[in-house]
Amino acid sequence: MAGDQTSAPRPERDPGPANASTAAEPPRPAGLRNDWVRSSLRRQQAIVDDLVQRAAATVGDEEACLTWLAARRQAASFRRHLATWTGRGFTDTAADLAAHRLALDGAMDRAGAVIADFDEATERSAHGRLGLRVAVMGKGGAGKTVISSTLARLLARRGRNVLAADLDTNPGMAFSLGLPPTEAGLPDEALEEHPGAAYGWQLNAGVTPREVVERHASVAPDGVRFLGLGKIGDATKTGPKRTVAAMVALLLGFGEPAWDVIGDLEAGPTTPFERYHAFSDHVVVVVGPAWRSAMTARRLLPMVGVGRTTTIVGNRFTDEPDHPGMAPRIRIPDDPDVAEAERLGLSPLDACPDSPVIEAVGHLADHLLPLEVPV
Amino acid sequence: MRIAITGKGGSGKSTVAGALARHLARRGHKVVAVDADPNPNLGISLGVPRESVESMQPILNALLDSGYTHDQPRPPADDLLARYGLEAPEGIVLVATGKIERPSDACLCCGSHNTTREFFSELPADDRVVVADLEAGLNDLIWAHPGDGDVVLALAETSAKSVEIARRAIELAGQMGVRRIIGVANRTLTDDAAGEVADALGIETLRVPEDPAVLHADHLGVAAMDAEPTSPAMVAVGAIVDRILAG
Repeated sequence: MAGDQTSAPRPERDPGPANASTAAEPPRPAGLRNDWVRSSLRRQQAIVDDLVQRAAATVGDEEACLTWLAARRQAASFRRHLATWTGRGFTDTAADLAAHRLALDGAMDRAGAVIADFDEATERSAHGRLGLRVAVMGKGGAGKTVISSTLARLLARRGRNVLAADLDTNPGMAFSLGLPPTEAGLPDEALEEHPGAAYGWQLNAGVTPREVVERHASVAPDGVRFLGLGKIGDATKTGPKRTVAAMVALLLGFGEPAWDVIGDLEAGPTTPFERYHAFSDHVVVVVGPAWRSAMTARRLLPMVGVGRTTTIVGNRFTDEPDHPGMAPRIRIPDDPDVAEAERLGLSPLDACPDSPVIEAVGHLADHLLPLEVPV
Repeated sequence: MRIAITGKGGSGKSTVAGALARHLARRGHKVVAVDADPNPNLGISLGVPRESVESMQPILNALLDSGYTHDQPRPPADDLLARYGLEAPEGIVLVATGKIERPSDACLCCGSHNTTREFFSELPADDRVVVADLEAGLNDLIWAHPGDGDVVLALAETSAKSVEIARRAIELAGQMGVRRIIGVANRTLTDDAAGEVADALGIETLRVPEDPAVLHADHLGVAAMDAEPTSPAMVAVGAIVDRILAG
């Protein structure tokens, strides 16, 4: 997640203007960092435990099965996340890591046993309603935002609950969802300062991810709920960076059984490196016809990580050949109408609803929905 | 002189930066091309062979591989340039600040970002021209921290998102005390379209036209300056260089 790369203290000699607010502080003692890791692990555990409790209390065969599946999926996701902390030098958290792993194994076994008791048709049906967790990556300008926003709205039109998250500090998803340009990020009340957190801020310990979405996510067309990182600040502020750690934790802990989550990552390899996609089960890599675009994708693919499916989407190819070894699963055509919508800052779904681009994104939804969710 | 090139992903930063460096070199300037993108690809636009671009060792990666840690003083910028600079066509020296291609414990904060700053802000002011192709978006501009004597090129193509990010970059550069900020309306089909971008940016804005020659070179992964140096976009970048040199 966002905090991974800041595991060692920043050098005092050159903290950079983006860290001006913390420049005067001494390097973080390792104890604080361990403390933060421990508290963020406890929070993840609490979300899993809560979902297990909800599952146990859910009435109705299919609803119960769905909630147990979600609980198991959340535990699996947390277990993958645990692996990212293992062996990273947080020595005094080793016992905590082991304890969490045991607790997760217990939760997964319990959920697995309950799920096995449902008949196959119920389980299949519940599986089909289990929300998607999709992260969209690619080079700048590849078309990530148009694709992720259109995907979010098309899923909503199919009757699904959708959370669209703009994980780009250069916000653009609001445009493509059809919202008025917004610089809204997580409000201050959803954040709290914590010296051990990446950029010094984290999700307020008093609220759950679900509550944050209910209270603070904008309502976009087709009922999509939207969260962004906020406006980048002036030359001396960290701006939306401070909401990054909170947003990554929020998505990771957003276990709602029947909600789809679509995350639009900032261009290039930095955000996958920082594991902004930690929440995802499925990664979509958008590739254009340019050679650089394929080179970028080759750099992104190793960062997808285990336990996730990868779907390559070819965008705006005309008559160029596919990149070697990178045949797109879904092909999205070049369409001047979409380019015009982009110029005007409109959602393609509003500006050119009959565009073949939208039909192709529909095919992406068809492809993603039946994919096996790791539970 | 130092020139920082900023803009949204896909706005054409690397293409313009590469052509700009080549034009400067042709006019007799010693050019240091800094690829500050953690997904380094400026070499392509400079005319460095694709294999060398893929295999080149950026400063951050080289330092980490040699056991460099946060606590050690970093070698001076000129030493790093001598050690890790790659020869590009027309005497240009290319250096990449850092590449990310595997999950690891490597630290960006003291790696590519500070190295970017070092190159942009700490290379001694002399007869060299430093052309920095920054990472997409605004963060890298904050890190590079151009100042009074520097030039910032804010690139936008015609999309609303791209224009909005260039507009913010201009605002930010102004706050940092940069006096020479030039807008570039990239990939514009007509003068009118470029005029709209210029109006939105609110500063002197030069046009680089949409150009099939650039698209073609891009598909092949070669420099447009080698494939078609007299194509309209390459000529337009030459005009930007003239404008910058005219002061």
